[in-house]
Amino acid sequence: MPPLPSSPSLSQTLSMDDSTGSLPSGDALSFYNLPRPKPIWLNDSYAKHIVKGNFMTLSARPKTVEQGEWIAHQVVEHYRNLWNFVRVIHDKDEEGTSICNSQTCPRMSAGANHSFTWLNARKEPVEVPAHEYISLMQRWISGKIDNTAIFPTDPAGVSFAYNTGNPDIASATYASGGLNTPGSNTPIPAGPTALTTSLSQLAGPGDWVGKSSGFPVDFVEVCQTIFRQMFRVYAHLYWAHFIDPFYHLSLEKPMNSCFSHFVLTATEIDMLKPHELEPMQPLIDLWAANGTFPKESKAYACANLKAGERLLSLAGVN
Amino acid sequence: MDSNNNGNRFYLNLNNDRQAYPDRTYPTTPSTFPNPIFPSQAQGGGQQAQAQSSQQQQQQPYSTGFAPSGYFMNNPYPPSYPQQPPASNYPAPQAPQASYQQRPAPTNPNDATNGLVHQFSHQNLGGRASPYGGARQPSPSQRPRTAGATGQQVSYSNYLNAPMPAAPQQQNWPEFQPAPERNPDKYGPLAQTNQKRCAQLAEAFFKDSVRRARDRNVRQSEMEQRLADPNQSQARREQTWSNAGKQEGKYLRFLRTRDAPENYQTLKIIGKGAFGEVKLVQKKQDGKVYAMKSLIKSEMFKKDQLAHVRAERDILAESDSPWVVKLYTTFQDADFLYMLMEFLPGGDLMTMLIKYEIFSEDITRFYIAEIVLAIEAVHKYGFIHRDIKPDNILLDRGGHVKLTDFGLSTGFHKLHDNSYYQQLLQGKSSRPTNRNSVNLDQINLTVSNRSVINDWRKSRRVMAYSTVGTPDYIAPEIFSGHGYTQDCDWWSLGTIMFECQVGWPPFCAEDAHDTYRKIVNWRQSLYFPEDVQLGPEAENLIRSLVCNTENRLGRGGADEIKAHKFFRGVDFDGLRRIRAPFEPKLSSNVDTAYFPTDEIDQTDNATHMRIAAEASNQPRVDAPELSLPFIGYTFKRFDTYANNR
Repeated sequence: MPPLPSSPSLSQTLSMDDSTGSLPSGDALSFYNLPRPKPIWLNDSYAKHIVKGNFMTLSARPKTVEQGEWIAHQVVEHYRNLWNFVRVIHDKDEEGTSICNSQTCPRMSAGANHSFTWLNARKEPVEVPAHEYISLMQRWISGKIDNTAIFPTDPAGVSFAYNTGNPDIASATYASGGLNTPGSNTPIPAGPTALTTSLSQLAGPGDWVGKSSGFPVDFVEVCQTIFRQMFRVYAHLYWAHFIDPFYHLSLEKPMNSCFSHFVLTATEIDMLKPHELEPMQPLIDLWAANGTFPKESKAYACANLKAGERLLSLAGVN
Repeated sequence: MDSNNNGNRFYLNLNNDRQAYPDRTYPTTPSTFPNPIFPSQAQGGGQQAQAQSSQQQQQQPYSTGFAPSGYFMNNPYPPSYPQQPPASNYPAPQAPQASYQQRPAPTNPNDATNGLVHQFSHQNLGGRASPYGGARQPSPSQRPRTAGATGQQVSYSNYLNAPMPAAPQQQNWPEFQPAPERNPDKYGPLAQTNQKRCAQLAEAFFKDSVRRARDRNVRQSEMEQRLADPNQSQARREQTWSNAGKQEGKYLRFLRTRDAPENYQTLKIIGKGAFGEVKLVQKKQDGKVYAMKSLIKSEMFKKDQLAHVRAERDILAESDSPWVVKLYTTFQDADFLYMLMEFLPGGDLMTMLIKYEIFSEDITRFYIAEIVLAIEAVHKYGFIHRDIKPDNILLDRGGHVKLTDFGLSTGFHKLHDNSYYQQLLQGKSSRPTNRNSVNLDQINLTVSNRSVINDWRKSRRVMAYSTVGTPDYIAPEIFSGHGYTQDCDWWSLGTIMFECQVGWPPFCAEDAHDTYRKIVNWRQSLYFPEDVQLGPEAENLIRSLVCNTENRLGRGGADEIKAHKFFRGVDFDGLRRIRAPFEPKLSSNVDTAYFPTDEIDQTDNATHMRIAAEASNQPRVDAPELSLPFIGYTFKRFDTYANNR
């Protein structure tokens, strides 16, 4: 058992423990301590998409493209997508009111179990209303993306990935490019890629992902943070705004498609670690079980298939 | 399966993992960044809970005001939740529901830590003892069919006022939160706009992404074929690989950067019209030369040209044909749409016709044959040009033909709007009064009157840049409103051929009104002047194109036209490789000698307007890509940097 909470508000965790104790053993969902009834977006009928097919090809790095360049591309694409949904809840109307505001969402929450804080000037975590959190997030991310020292734009600086299929080129110095090449038979000098290994580790000393293309040494770290922030915002959109307004505006399918593509990409290019998916884990499980995530994807590997299948059967899908 | 097995499946595992929770450093926190916290880590739980519940009550008027009545009526559980005194609050399992409503997130009743709540929560959990059994009802069956049925509201409020706990009833709780009736109207106009924008952008994102991925795969397999060629040296192969990687990388960089008119230096204005202008520009970054068409958004909107802009962007973006002018990228700012296209220094066929008056039969054969192939290419992409005319036939540096202006720029007629033509046909002359009067009565149209014709042509250039455009080459069925097919473009071909051979288009008249009438009455008005020597095959071809659509050559495909005896001996497949009859003589890659730049006002309106708009300092709230009617307009071609000379 986890250590008993010292803070009263941890009693929540405690009561969840009690609840799991009274459940029939083996329910793959019990761990998540989901509210009852479960959020509508875990119902397969509302977890559908505007697109079909295997979207790995949108996420997987093309062989010749340098890894940093690909990550930069994905960061920008997913940020544009996310902002497309955020705008719906974040924009203020003529009276200065937004759908997400400090009354509806006094915290940046993702269900009862998660809320996110912002670090203030003294680097202390502070709770801010979701609307403000999202504004801060936007300012922070666009500050990074628009900074050409972090996201260079000069076409002359573009590099390429070293050719893992070509031993002569593989011996060259482009160690940063050879990560995670799908389908490559050639052993990658930097070592096998594992879910637990960070990209910066793989790049080796004195070298880093994106170096040859002019990305800075902390580029991967910055991008991982951006992805983590974007994930939090998606989590808030699902937990706090799925019905109000996205479902009412019939935007839940586009949001499902963009978010599932986001998860697929973020895991594929190691921008999010499996444990970071937690607030949305049941939906990821569901998407693994209902075929949204291809079996060969890392997102699928991150999922608890049993939990997903359980959700499917609860929704009456066989 | 355990988490050590990291290569394969990672189960977020049940009990093991949970132990890791409280002491997990979650997430890896970079210096500048925020932590997520579990509510448990928040300070002062009990106090907080009280504060929250009072806060909650304060907010209650807002909540009910904000949240749609339809929603509440359909949802049996939460409506009166905030109205309940905290002690008789709904028990734990239900409570987190608050977090997915428009409800203060902290209304987590677990925070309202008191024994009673816990008791209830246990009761409810008990009621869930066989939680996934037969008691479960799929959500749809719980969903009232009609939003806003007052009777239901009453019954719900009764239910809610009923004494707790109603454990058996709670067994009927659905597994999933029931879906309320969709009620988009509860939100204001801003949300409606954002809704459309959001849906369109998401769709455009996937459409574009899939297309790009598909094209990328094609390029990659082409590269792999080259790599597999045993005759290639190792060095060459490395070159192939690194070039491919760099091209892809440049394209990705191009995709993530926002293009802007400031990135281009205007060299000369080569065309101008009511909707905007075409400029010869040079990209500041790399010195490459392009033709940049800028269109005034507000004019496009007012004159109902959005569909046409979109059509042009679509066909130019989709086609990859030597017969169609290449579109490299489209972008926009608050006031303009921009199309960055290849610059064709040879000018257009209209300018050639003004210069040479008529073509010999051989030269006519060359141009008409090339136009046949160009139209065929457009048709193969599934488009109908509908506005083929000499102004839209551009000549590249080799003097070969390319089509442009797919539905806009010069001929901004509402091609789809029949009533527009009906109005013109019935109305009086639409001729601008300031135009030089040119008497173009049919009788006067003889070779001896060439100077008159040239006056007409010059006035026609003015016409070409107007919003009305010239109707001279348009097929009659387009006016009739009874529909048209691809073969309307073959009619236009016939009229252009007539003009190449005779010196004027067959239905030209003093004003558009008369031209329309002549076209509709083509049987009477089509007339070959006696003093013009026309080969019998040439006249036959013209007559089999300028005719009613049932008999028109080309109805069964371009091959019918290619097989006409006028084209005997023409090698259509190799046509683009032979030397053109007129090759532009250019002094530099920015030579505009073939454009009537001296006739065009060189005032750079777009730049002026932009600077004025910037100076006015009006706050631009949205990125221009997001202005609703123009979503999806922005386009970026892969080989923008690759093959541009």
